[in-house]
Amino acid sequence: MNPSSKYHRIGRRGFLGLAAGLAAVPVLSGCGRAADAEASAPAGPPKRGGMLRVGVTGGGSSDTLDPHIPATNPDIARTINLYEALLYRDNQFRLRPLVAESVVSSPDATVWTATIRKGIKFHDGRPVMPRDVVASFRRITDPDDPKTGAASLSMLESVVPTGDRTVEFRLSQATAGFDDYLGQYSLGIVPADFDVKKPIGTGPFRMGTFDAGLQSTFLRNEHYWVPDQPYLDKLVLTNFTEDDARINALLSSQVDVIDQVPVALIDVLRSDERIRILNSRTGTWQPFTMRVDRPPFDDVRVRQALRLVIDREQMINQVLSGQGRVANDLYAPYDPAYDSTLPQRRRDLRKVRGLLAAAGKPNLEVELTTAPIQAGAVEAAQVFQRQAKDAGITIRLHKVDTTTFFGENYKNWDFAQSFWYTRNYLPQVNNGALPSSPINETHFGDPEFTAIIAKAQGTVDTAERTKLLHQAQRIEYERGGDIIWAFPNQVDAYQVYVAGLVPDRTGIPLSGYQFRNAWLGQGGGA
Amino acid sequence: MSGGLLRRALGLRQAKIGLTLTGIVVLLAVAGALFGNMITGYQPDDFSGKPFHANGMAGTDGVGRDVLTRFLDGGLDLLGYGLAATAIGVLLGAALGMLAGYTGGWLDGLIMRGSDVLLSIPQLVFALLAIAMIGPKGWLLILVIGITHAPRVARVARQTTVGVIGQDYIKAAQLYGMPRRRILLREVLPNITGPLMVELGLRLTYSIGYVASLSFLGLGIQPPAADWGLMINENRIALVVQPWGVVLPVLAIAVLTVGTNLITDSLAAAAARRTTEES
Repeated sequence: MNPSSKYHRIGRRGFLGLAAGLAAVPVLSGCGRAADAEASAPAGPPKRGGMLRVGVTGGGSSDTLDPHIPATNPDIARTINLYEALLYRDNQFRLRPLVAESVVSSPDATVWTATIRKGIKFHDGRPVMPRDVVASFRRITDPDDPKTGAASLSMLESVVPTGDRTVEFRLSQATAGFDDYLGQYSLGIVPADFDVKKPIGTGPFRMGTFDAGLQSTFLRNEHYWVPDQPYLDKLVLTNFTEDDARINALLSSQVDVIDQVPVALIDVLRSDERIRILNSRTGTWQPFTMRVDRPPFDDVRVRQALRLVIDREQMINQVLSGQGRVANDLYAPYDPAYDSTLPQRRRDLRKVRGLLAAAGKPNLEVELTTAPIQAGAVEAAQVFQRQAKDAGITIRLHKVDTTTFFGENYKNWDFAQSFWYTRNYLPQVNNGALPSSPINETHFGDPEFTAIIAKAQGTVDTAERTKLLHQAQRIEYERGGDIIWAFPNQVDAYQVYVAGLVPDRTGIPLSGYQFRNAWLGQGGGA
Repeated sequence: MSGGLLRRALGLRQAKIGLTLTGIVVLLAVAGALFGNMITGYQPDDFSGKPFHANGMAGTDGVGRDVLTRFLDGGLDLLGYGLAATAIGVLLGAALGMLAGYTGGWLDGLIMRGSDVLLSIPQLVFALLAIAMIGPKGWLLILVIGITHAPRVARVARQTTVGVIGQDYIKAAQLYGMPRRRILLREVLPNITGPLMVELGLRLTYSIGYVASLSFLGLGIQPPAADWGLMINENRIALVVQPWGVVLPVLAIAVLTVGTNLITDSLAAAAARRTTEES
């Protein structure tokens, strides 16, 4: 078609030219930066010094410095750099020691002993004592004001100092993976006399200034326990609520790194030689949630039909621009007990029609509640709606804003969406698949499943526990209420002179916001 | 009377331009909705490639649907909603305004002070409030925009009615004992059509603007429907990569509103000339 190519050529050329022109502005004007144009990827050993400016998505006037209730991305970034928990998940999603040197279990998994790292100090130079650990957990599990991490510590009976550097966690029931629960960024260790107005922890950076909803600055912690780290002298976190603003700040060199690049713009940024893309495979998931206790989803055949009507590859292509891996309606892909032997579910329209006919709902009509709760959520709903049409299923989209979504009906929508970071299987089940879970969106309460999980929690033997967890996963695979279609990648971007950021499996942006590893090469550092 | 007014208005050059512009967009919206998929080969919700890629004449949108197909399909709702809201606003406003102007007294005071209250609330804010309470429904959109138009139309209708009721033919009709409703419809209305036609055009322009704005804000026409206002919002993030998803609907809305506005202007000019000729 002749007119089409003409139409096209003008548009592309004109606008790419415009884009290139815009991109060139900061280079021409210089911005007081020595050698923007000459900046190249740094090599060799890490260099000390400089300031890293980070653009972070989200945040608002309710931003906090409280180590135990981080909610938004800027909160999480601040928490991770100011405070440290006993353990953490590294870039490979392995559990690694942080404030603790080691955490070991008693043979029956009812008592866990943490040994505090030798010589570790708070920002003010005081050493970390067992009583600080006790006080931190008392603050988190305060019955009058329970913090974020309290829900998953329900089995914790008491925390008792037992030596100069040792603390015992005594549990009300055997919990095989208790160390996993301690490795959460919202369980930071703070001094016994902690006050949010004087935010002190053991993190690689100490507090500089803090403007809620706008910007916070951090200075190097001279007492940090890893030799030479952090490499940076100063860290600046700026909140961005708009995608365009964040991208433009990066392109005009007003920030050095940004989190969450919209997938549609990956190619644009990739074509800019001053920018690098940080593309991380993760275990995060964005399910469609069906309430198993409400019609029509109380019929397991309807749930299976919807799991079979979704075209997972197409979802990844249309919603994530191909940036993700196909999932099999199961979470926790990095858990050693993940059952990869279950057959991958694929689209099968004949089976869908058969299941719906058997359920007596050949022309199924359902309402899906969607909201921009995460990048791509509303898009996913639209693509799924279209796919379901192929099997005669009518999905009506009920689009609400985020506030309404998380409002009084939250966790009670019949058919909606959700978003979870990477977790291992048991912690995830505790968070979302038991009748006692704080966020059980599907209202899943299968008694057989609950019994198996209870048994697995108290099973110390790994092989035995894995067998139980495989049984549990099979039940969720067959009867669960989540449609888990993909594990999306986390995509961030940074200026070429920034080093030390590596792909991270946790799903937390920018190498898990661990800026202690970051350093600046030639051309960086204002 | 009104036929003469239209003829006179259409004699103006800007009316011809306005009519052409409006005609192009209306034709595009109607024909596009009917035959769009035959031209491009896609349904509005079919996927034609990866998101924001160059497949097809105008590329793809945020989930990989063909932008041109959606553009062709996306105008009819906007036009329909705009027309319906305008009709409600002008009918309601003209009826109330004429009643107030002709009757006078406490009814006049009641209607006009009531509409003053409505006038004091900005139109878009009023619409946002109603949608936030009830939810983004098509009928609500039409109703709320129509209702916010009514007091503005009522003001004009009342003023022109007051100017007419002193005329002899009205007095004659009253002497014959003609009922009020008939006087309003048969004697008053034909003599105030000029200003009302101007109002009609003006309100139509505003209605289109409001429906598009609300859809852009995510409170009007809802996904997965194709709609010009919504398209601008969905595709603005990729303006530098795939501009057509924003540029096409922006152009269409701009041309449409400029066109209706030019027609309105010529109507106003024609009506003004007539009054000067008559006096």
